[in-house]
Amino acid sequence: MDPITFSIIRHRLFRIVDEAVITLKHVSGSAITNEGHDLMVSLYRADGSLLMGGVGFLHHLTSAAEACKSIINKFNSDINENDVFLLNCPYTAALHTSDVYLVAPIHSEGKLVAWSACFVHVYDIGAMNPGGFSPESLDIFTEGFSSPGLKIVDRGEIRKDVMDTLLNMVRSPEMVALDISSMIACNNVARDRMQGLVKKYGISIVDEACSNLIDQSEDLLRERLLELPDGSWESRQYFNVKDETYKVILKMTKSKDTLSFDFSGSSPQSKYGINCSKWASWGGLFAPLFPLLCYDITWNEGVIKPIEMKAPEGTVVNATRPAPVSIATVGAIQAVNNAACTCISKMLSASDKYKNEATAVWHGSHFAIFMFGKNQRSSDSIGILTETFGGAAGARSIGDGVDVGGEIPNPISRMANVETMEWTFPVRYLFRRRLKDSGGPGTYRGGAGAEFAITPHDAPDGGINYVVSGKGTSYPMSEGLAGGYPGAPSRYTWIKNQKKNSDRCLSDDLLVGSNSYEGDKENISWGVFPLFGNDYLHVRWNGGGGYGDPLKRDLKSLEKDVNEGLVSENAAKEIYGAIIINGQVDLEQSVILRKNILNNRVRGGGS
Amino acid sequence: MKSRLSETLSFNGRGSIVCSCCEYKICDQDLHWKKSVIISEESMQDLCGDNYTVSQGLLLRRFFCPGCYALLDTETAIHDDPFLYDKIIK
Amino acid sequence: MERLKGGKYIIATDVGGTCTDTVIFAAGEGLKLGKALSTPPNFADGIINSVYSAAEEIGLSLAELFSSCRLFVHGSTVVDNALLTRTGDRTGLITTKGFEDTLLMTRGAYGRWGGLTEDKIKHPVATDRPEPLVPTDRIEGVSERVDYKGEILLQLDEAAAEISIRSLIEVGKVDAIAVSLLWSFFNPQHEKKIKEIINKVSPGVYVSLSNEIAPVPGEYERTSTTVINAYAGSITKNYLTSLESQLEAEGYNGEILVMQGYGGLLSAREAADRAVGMLECGPAAGVIGSRYLGSLMGEENIIAADMGGTTFKVGVIQDGELSHSREPMVDRFHYVAPKIEVVSIGSGGGSIISLDPRTNIPRIGPISAGAVPGPVCYGQGGDEPTLTDVMLLIGYIDPDRFLGGSIKLDVENTRRVFNKKIAQPLGLDIETAAFGIYRIAAAQVTDLIHEITVEQGLDPRDFVLHAFGGSCPLLCSMFGAELNVKNIVVPYAASVNCAFGLASADIVHEYTHTETCSLPCSAEHINNIFKPMVLKGHSQLLSEGFTDKKISLEWAIDFRYGRQVHEVTTPIKVSVPLDDENMSQLISDFETLYERRYGKGSAYKEAGIEMTMFRLTARGLVERPNVEKSQYSGIDSKGAQIGTRNIFVDAKDGMVEAPIYDFDKLSSGNEITGPAVIHTPITTIVIQLDQVGKMDDLRNILIKSI
Repeated sequence: MDPITFSIIRHRLFRIVDEAVITLKHVSGSAITNEGHDLMVSLYRADGSLLMGGVGFLHHLTSAAEACKSIINKFNSDINENDVFLLNCPYTAALHTSDVYLVAPIHSEGKLVAWSACFVHVYDIGAMNPGGFSPESLDIFTEGFSSPGLKIVDRGEIRKDVMDTLLNMVRSPEMVALDISSMIACNNVARDRMQGLVKKYGISIVDEACSNLIDQSEDLLRERLLELPDGSWESRQYFNVKDETYKVILKMTKSKDTLSFDFSGSSPQSKYGINCSKWASWGGLFAPLFPLLCYDITWNEGVIKPIEMKAPEGTVVNATRPAPVSIATVGAIQAVNNAACTCISKMLSASDKYKNEATAVWHGSHFAIFMFGKNQRSSDSIGILTETFGGAAGARSIGDGVDVGGEIPNPISRMANVETMEWTFPVRYLFRRRLKDSGGPGTYRGGAGAEFAITPHDAPDGGINYVVSGKGTSYPMSEGLAGGYPGAPSRYTWIKNQKKNSDRCLSDDLLVGSNSYEGDKENISWGVFPLFGNDYLHVRWNGGGGYGDPLKRDLKSLEKDVNEGLVSENAAKEIYGAIIINGQVDLEQSVILRKNILNNRVRGGGS
Repeated sequence: MKSRLSETLSFNGRGSIVCSCCEYKICDQDLHWKKSVIISEESMQDLCGDNYTVSQGLLLRRFFCPGCYALLDTETAIHDDPFLYDKIIK
Repeated sequence: MERLKGGKYIIATDVGGTCTDTVIFAAGEGLKLGKALSTPPNFADGIINSVYSAAEEIGLSLAELFSSCRLFVHGSTVVDNALLTRTGDRTGLITTKGFEDTLLMTRGAYGRWGGLTEDKIKHPVATDRPEPLVPTDRIEGVSERVDYKGEILLQLDEAAAEISIRSLIEVGKVDAIAVSLLWSFFNPQHEKKIKEIINKVSPGVYVSLSNEIAPVPGEYERTSTTVINAYAGSITKNYLTSLESQLEAEGYNGEILVMQGYGGLLSAREAADRAVGMLECGPAAGVIGSRYLGSLMGEENIIAADMGGTTFKVGVIQDGELSHSREPMVDRFHYVAPKIEVVSIGSGGGSIISLDPRTNIPRIGPISAGAVPGPVCYGQGGDEPTLTDVMLLIGYIDPDRFLGGSIKLDVENTRRVFNKKIAQPLGLDIETAAFGIYRIAAAQVTDLIHEITVEQGLDPRDFVLHAFGGSCPLLCSMFGAELNVKNIVVPYAASVNCAFGLASADIVHEYTHTETCSLPCSAEHINNIFKPMVLKGHSQLLSEGFTDKKISLEWAIDFRYGRQVHEVTTPIKVSVPLDDENMSQLISDFETLYERRYGKGSAYKEAGIEMTMFRLTARGLVERPNVEKSQYSGIDSKGAQIGTRNIFVDAKDGMVEAPIYDFDKLSSGNEITGPAVIHTPITTIVIQLDQVGKMDDLRNILIKSI
């Protein structure tokens, strides 16, 4: 087909997705959608295959394709112009119940020409615990409303019976209603624009351009795979809930122009909701694959074709119904993201041409904390602490990881201001800053994570509750690469009965270091906890993985790290072999120390 | 012809895996290289300091070049878990 | 403004990256235009040269011109330039203890991906934050705390603050200090106290307080803005002072007014303390100019497009109102200041055309051939085909008349290079390939305009398109038709757009008050919020010499729905002070605006409505001479035709012989039926088939579809 028309249609498809994303954010108006960018919009072909993936949570791109396909199978002849379908069953296609898909057919001249799909993390889905992540649920039945596919808009008319039923099962139904409206509006815009495109160029030209676009992506990825060496690479992720430890094991094999991911050996499914379904693992491996291998290739079905996955049934990466999965997106899926990131990066490292594309793991573990209760204006509120979208980048062969630099699976996330959080919730922050010794040591240091502490402030009920469904506390999940160490794990500390000065004048800015608490400390990671009265919650979040031998880190960079408070003098000495006193590196002593450490290695000893 | 196995290891083109830093011959190119190098297995908590409040059983395995002691790779592991094996088909 | 009453001329100069443009408004004499190269870092030379070239037009010496000048209006990229070249002051930051990293953490990845194109965002491994303007060792946390209500929880530790300040000055060797504390916009006491201490310790240090520079919620953006202001503060101050003395030396002793990013003017003295206000003021002036031209032509809905050598920029005016940027950035730094929204893509006349080596798909830009070596056709050694070369190949540019014939273009070599690099690899003949590129350029511009119109709930069919800049008139008939705009206007002042805007701007002071009030809220409460701002704005303008007749005080309130993040600035169109009756009209205005901007069904009334910010715009209307209009002289344009040439015609999908006209020979009322080309001294206007071009009495060319 002629390259000019192709180029124009491709650009317009990009714009359609972008405009639909804007609509979604505009109409939804919620913090998680707008600040965290916890959303996704994509276009699909008439058969449900991915046509144009947008920038959002990338593990949804393929799952929403499954959602389209599943709707096509189920509704078959009952798919009409201007219909919209809802699907959020994780055992059908979705990732967990609170990430609700709305998918819509796009017709032109009465013919089905494409699909659009989007999701947002809805305000609530009626699970045992508010906000969607439900650590107390031990099966899918207690994880809230779940549908393998229903028609929510019938030929342009919202089905009130369906909407009422859904809203009847969730907390803050008016907020959920707004989330649903935003997704309907988003699909409407995608449909209108797509119809405009088809009208201008004709069904057959657009169809040809779309199929070329997919072929082109496939050709480009296969060519790239052929440039990379054949081989296999392994990675392993550990995570735990209470005292149970799980593994995700991955062996990635590249042969000619194909790539396969084998999760054999991963742990049996858990009784807790950190499991994920098969489609979730499939999406989970693509989340790093798109930006690491296809950064200059359109993300569509063509990229998916050369990839295969094996995920044994009954494991954490392919749980069997009715296993709970409400925490999948920050549970097993993230372990899959991380493991795939490591294997892909190791493969890239084996190539002269692509070695600079390799990266240690970014933000290995989300720390989704949902607050719920009455805010300072006495209205009920549920909401996430958006710091989890702050992340921390992994180090690369070309430089340090970016401190508090985000994550790979969601390229444009961000966190809210402290002032926004203090306005929204009845809490006061004691501090929010980068965390010392959190970035994984290496020649290039992993990006630092950060820490913050909050305490109730002006809460009409005396405080607020929160749900923690954390992992990544007992096992660091931001793996290092090429000899780099993993980033430090996350930690949630509940400080009880810390003394507070009664005249509201603060004396608690003492709470800057972990040793200065007067109250009782408890490290927590799973369940519902109070933040009342003199309670504090101190969260430390994980740093990115390091890259290369820490002994080879440039001494001047280390001096800067120490002066910026990102590496302690002690870690500089013990891990990096650098003597830094009063902010000054002692070159001579450091060289001697490094030599000694190196010589110790002959006995298998280290620093 | 020399080619990469990873950031730290190469194939020397004459049937061996070598350290990219010092050219030390580690093993035959079809073998599991981790079995032919110096291995350190230490508690991650002991090794990495206060912030690594991890499970006591968690180890950081480090693989050093027997020639120049360069750190070739790391992996986190629980005691009995096997080495992660990366191989390239020559 | 007492001193300004006498003169006859208003002089406006705009310092851009390459050129410094001048427009002179003179009663009864029409517009005079001037141009000279910019001369960084001593911009004043370029300014004088540019004014000189316009003075020549009138036949005056500089001294004569300045002695009868009543107002000198100025816009400059000096602040943008200080940031881009990192030549600002060594700056320190004082903030609330525990939050020292706010600036460096940039709300997480926001500062890493902010300001990047989608292509780069999709490649995260290759992205980093820009180097911060203030490094960690020049950031000091002070012990103090104010809460979300503005209540002081912890008094400022003044002794410790003084130690921090001394450390910044003595150890950090800073010349400027930004102060940004949590919730300071609700309670500025501690920031003010810190300024006192700094002044006591070292009076020479430049100080910016966040509650003065950006009194809005959101500590990251507020801090970033305050830091930018401190960083560029003394450069700006020195720049304006030296301009003042230079002009004085040339014989001008009146007021200098300086353009702000929000499209209003401030006195040089006031502007000097608000460096951040001057960011991106050039493009803002362009939009203001468009609005003024629209008001002369009776149009309130305008898409103002400007395409030069490297960028295509566009802003939107709706019902005479300008839209403001939500998340403005400069050189990838976030800031928050009222700023007219202007979006852009890297597509201009100099944009290099290439083929993706893997897919053979043509790309336009973002790299530009610049002035040197420039497009292939300039014959200065450029060997990468550009959009300008394409315009030549499709007959739109006359090789012998480019820029009034000052450069003769090399057609043969352009054909050879384009054929080798683009047409042959695409398997197309030269003309077909060149049309194709032209169509892609038009489609990309269409998509960009779509973004700021349709995506904001505006219908381009209700708008006229203004085509400014050297390259826009070549492309506008094509994308204007695709967007279906009412009318396309190629303004007479198309080449000095920003300077024209400066000359047509008013003095504007912006005041804001941050407070959250939930509805219902009494009119009296709101009136009380506005009262001090009204007094302040009014007396400020009186002191600047404006009479009540020339003062306009515009009220606006930012509203949002409860639990929602989007705020909509709603102008108060009902009479003020408010009463309870017109309150309800105001609220319904907000609801209409909200649904228009965020789409049907987005209004979430159940959660209630909140007001978050109260804004007063105090406008001093600058009197302008009437622009001279030319006499109607009939529709016949034959006398202006100077020949024919083969040009590409979209509807015919090929080259067609078309008449060529000389702009200077056209008169008011003349009509030209497309396809046709009009040569002006600085650009070329293309009219497509089924379009008609007409010269109006201001010498603008209006293009309409038949």
